Order: sequence, then structure tokens, then C-alpha cells
Amino acid sequence: MEKIIITVLGQDRPGIIAAVAQSLYERDCNIENVSQMVLQSEFVGLFVVTVPGDATLDNIRDALRQDLSAMELDVQAKELVAPKQTPSALQWEPFLITTMGPDAKGLVARITSVLARHGANVTNLKAVFQGGENPDRNIMVYEADVPAQGNREALYAGLREKAREMGLEIIIQHRDIFDAVNKI
Amino acid sequence: MYNDQELFSTLHMLRNENLDVRTVTLGVNLMDCVSHDLEVFKAKIRAKITGLAGNLVDTCNQVGEKYGIQVVNKRISVSPIGVVAAPFSPDQMVEVAKTLDEIAREVNVDFIGGFSALVEKGVANGDKSLILAIPRALAETSRLCGSVNVASTRAGINMDAVLMMAHAIKEAAALTAHADGLACAKLCVFCNIPQDVPFMAGAYLGVGEADAVISVGVSGPGVVKAAIDRAVKADPNMGLGQIAEVIKLTACKVTRVGELIGREVAKTLGLPFGVVDLSLAPTPTVGDSVGEIFESLGLVKMGLPGSTAALAMLNDAVKKGGAFASSHVGGLSGAFIPVSEDLNIAEAVAQGHLNIEKLEAMTAVCSVGLDMVAIPGDTSEETLAGLMADEMAIGMINSKTTATRLIPVPGKKAGDMAEFGGLLGHATIIDVKQAAGENRFVRHAGRIPAPIHSLKN
Repeated sequence: MEKIIITVLGQDRPGIIAAVAQSLYERDCNIENVSQMVLQSEFVGLFVVTVPGDATLDNIRDALRQDLSAMELDVQAKELVAPKQTPSALQWEPFLITTMGPDAKGLVARITSVLARHGANVTNLKAVFQGGENPDRNIMVYEADVPAQGNREALYAGLREKAREMGLEIIIQHRDIFDAVNKI
Repeated sequence: MYNDQELFSTLHMLRNENLDVRTVTLGVNLMDCVSHDLEVFKAKIRAKITGLAGNLVDTCNQVGEKYGIQVVNKRISVSPIGVVAAPFSPDQMVEVAKTLDEIAREVNVDFIGGFSALVEKGVANGDKSLILAIPRALAETSRLCGSVNVASTRAGINMDAVLMMAHAIKEAAALTAHADGLACAKLCVFCNIPQDVPFMAGAYLGVGEADAVISVGVSGPGVVKAAIDRAVKADPNMGLGQIAEVIKLTACKVTRVGELIGREVAKTLGLPFGVVDLSLAPTPTVGDSVGEIFESLGLVKMGLPGSTAALAMLNDAVKKGGAFASSHVGGLSGAFIPVSEDLNIAEAVAQGHLNIEKLEAMTAVCSVGLDMVAIPGDTSEETLAGLMADEMAIGMINSKTTATRLIPVPGKKAGDMAEFGGLLGHATIIDVKQAAGENRFVRHAGRIPAPIHSLKN
């Protein structure tokens, strides 16, 4: 085993990263990559870690759970395996799909089901509530890689139909326009 | 993923602030279509333009859809017809005009420009035929635009040509009297005409340009106004230097969008990309007005004292932002102040805040001239020629483009309303001072010599 990925989930508070890093350091692990975010009050961290040859996945995970128990954090770990097939970047085109309108159960499921049906891979998803007193100002932004050779018109039509059913406004744009405006 | 501000500012520009690509213009060189036989010439230009422009509209729509931004107009500019159709008589020139109009319909573009002549130093036979044909050519077609360059900093002002144009404008107005002189709305008289302007009515493809080229005209007065409003709201005491910076940054973003769309259209069509013309070009829509920007800058109304200074700052900031964003900025690139095409400017005229003298002063610091200005139908040819000569002088002396698009509205007087329809809008007819007696200055004709600073070599 060379690399493992560890997820840490729990209520956000000062010191979580420090505690995780200390625990891993004490077991001779090296943190290669980290991504973390806070959604509402919950912290979630993803750590890609190289581990020493004599360590096992269970050792590392159990040690972390013990070290972090006082912070009431949930810890999971799995082996990191190389992807079976790395798609060439040229086969995909990045799009941003924005929906605006009333929040509803199943909103994300219905939009992403259309994306999945057309082979598009959601690479990022963001929800922003801009409404103040207005419940209709719910904005979802899906960043998705769309197959370059796929039927773009059918994907657009499917997304627009789904948005119409839910009373949402939808805007579909190639990501380059955001790069053009925001990255100079 | 972009941060919230990046996401929403981009979405707002497109959804709420009327950012669009105002025009993608395909330039087509017609020099290789030249013939002394009218039928051969017509067949050749039809084959060449339809061959190149057949997919223009569909391509623009597809690229627009891909980026979620509308390409509002798709247009074609051609080599100056006064040059490529030089052997023909005025009647034959009208035939050429009708053929170009038919071609525009066939490939479904909004306008085709280039019914043009370059006569700043002298009028050649082809140019003369073209100018004589202009009234009928523009009255009997709907998608054709014409332009005549009568002056330049290097050559001076050709007053013979100015007088010919005054006559042509009056005649074109008379032929379209039922539509408030609409033919004149498709005709620009220029000093220092750019070879690559994608905006109508002045678009033509210069003789130094490629065989075919895609250029883009980006607008966005609503985006600039919204950016100023946001900045001033956040800091009401913001200095003008900082406001100019806000305009510059906004212009830069808008230009980047135009460049992205233009390059993709050009690549898809397999043609070279020409220029981005970043001009604040209004439409008669609320929120898409250059006049409203003056109010955002703190003026009570456009036309009141301070307006020229405000426009100078706006025009310069737009140019600076655009120049940074694109390696090839061309055309007019600045702020347009077309009276009838801008609700707020039309209103300023109607309320008496903006008169023709102030408009003329403002054109000294912006990118065009007396644009879409409806004037009384009884304005004499001499007065028209005088108005044009004054505007040309501003361009000649300041080494910049100026133009006039004046519409003497038949049967109507100052204060009446002229209606041109669609993007051309409507406007109150502006008062023009006319003294009794002949204007002998313009009747002297000949050429006003080029200014001393034209001697640069």
C-alpha cells in the first residue's frame, strides 16, 4: 500500500486540521494533498496520504479515530487506486450550468440525471441562496465535463425541459466565457 | 470553481445588463469579381459572398448558444462598390445595390455594408456613379448600407463631395418620405473612415484587408452603467480617476467576451480573425443606453454642462480597457451617441437639454459624430453641407474618425417626432439654425487643404 485517502467529517471548530496532521505525522505519514470545506457548520476534509510500508489502512484509521475522538469527528479511510482509464482532456468540454428558481426536493437529482444520461461528468456543484426573504432566489451551479462528440442539442433540450418542469430558469455556458471575463 | 462574485457578475452582465455581441461582421473582398459586364459582375459577387457567408448566421447562433451570449446581428461588409463596380453607370449601380440586398436576404444577414466610395481627395468615375446612385440604391433596398468618406487628416475635406452628399441625402429622404426619410438612416458620411469597422452603417472592407475576415463589434453600455452604479453606491465619494478605472476594467471584460466569440466564429468558418471593435453602442431599450451612463456619472441629463468632459472620460476609459483585452482592437472603439437609437439621448433632445451644437461639441471627444440625428425636412442642401463640413473638420484636425448620419425628415419640423422603427428607434426632430440667404462658403467647393500636422513624413 502506498497511498490512502482519508475523510474527516464533523462540526467545524478550530484545530481539526492541526489534530489530523499531528496524528498522521506521529505515524510517519506524509500528507500529499488536502481539500477541505465548510458547508453551513460542518467541516469536511479529504487527505491523500502516503503511508510507511509496515502500516495498514486499519492501523492508520483506528489511530486517527482514537486521536480525534474528543472532537467527535467521523473518520473514514480507503486505499487510493489509480483510475482504470484516464480520459483525454481533449474529449471533454467544460460547461457551467446555472439554475435559478424555487428550491425543491429532487432538484439536484433531476438536473444531474439529465447530465448523467448524456455522459456528462459533474466536476463541481455549488448551491448559493441569494434570496433574502425571497425563497425563489435559489441558485445552483453545476460544473460539468460534457463529451465533446456528444449530442449537444439533445443535452440542452433535456436540461431545458427539466428546468421548465421545475419552474427554474437555466443558463448553459461553456466555461471559457467565465475564464474570459474573470481571468486576465 | 469560481467564487460567488465571479459567477454572479458574469451572469448579471449577460442576463440583466444587456451584454451581447452586437455584431459579427464578415468582410468579403470583391476585387477579384471585377468585370465590365454587369451580369458577370453580379453573378461573381453573388457566388463569392454566398460561398463565404452561407454558414455565417448558423455558426454565430451556435457559438452564441455555446457561451450563453447572443450574437444580435450578423452582417457582411464588402470592398467599396465605388471601386469594384467603377465601370458602371448610376442606373447599373442601383442594380448592383439590389443584387447585394438580395444576397443579404439569401444568407439571412441583417445588413450588408460597402455601398461606399472613398473620395476625400477626388471623385473618380466609379465614385461619382455610386454617389449619384445612392438615393435610389438605399430607397429601393432594405438591408444595404452605404458610406462615403469625404475627408481625411491626410487629404483635407473634399467640399465638392460634401455638396454631392448633401444633395444625395436630400434626395434619399425625399424618395423615402413615407418612412420619415429612412434611406438616410443607412448612410454615413465620414472623415477618416476606418477600414475594418464592423458596425453599420459605416462597415466596408478596406482595400488593405484580407480576402475574407471576421470582425466583431461588442457593445455593453448597460454593463458599464451597472458597474459605475455599484461602485458609486459602495463609495459615494469615489473620485473620477477611480470611476474611470471601473469603466476601464469593465470594458476589458466586455472586450474579452467579444474576442472569444469572434475567434471561435472565425475558426469555425476557417477565416482569419480581424478586430474587436469595442464600442458602447446603444439600442432603444431601457438599460442599454449610453445616455444613462451620464446620469450614473452624476449629470442631471446628458447635454447639460459637463457632458463633454464626462464623454471624454468615458470614451478614453473604454479604449484603454479594450486595448488591454485584445491584441487587435479596431474599428471605432469608443462611445456612440446615436440620438434616435438611444432612449435616454432621444429624451434629452425632446426635453431640450441636448441641442445640435452640444452634440457636435461632444463628437470631438467620442468615436463617431452626428449620428442618427433627425433634422427638419426643409433643411437646405447648403445647411446640410455646412453641418457635414463642420463635423468633418473636427475629425480632420483631431486625426480621428467623425461621421454624420443626418436625416432631413420630409414634411416635418423641429419638435416633431420621427419614427424609423426597430433598432433605428425614434427621435424628436432637432432644431437647426438656418439663416436666410445662400451659404456661399460651402458653394465655393474645391478642397479644404489638409492640416499642417498631416505632414508627418
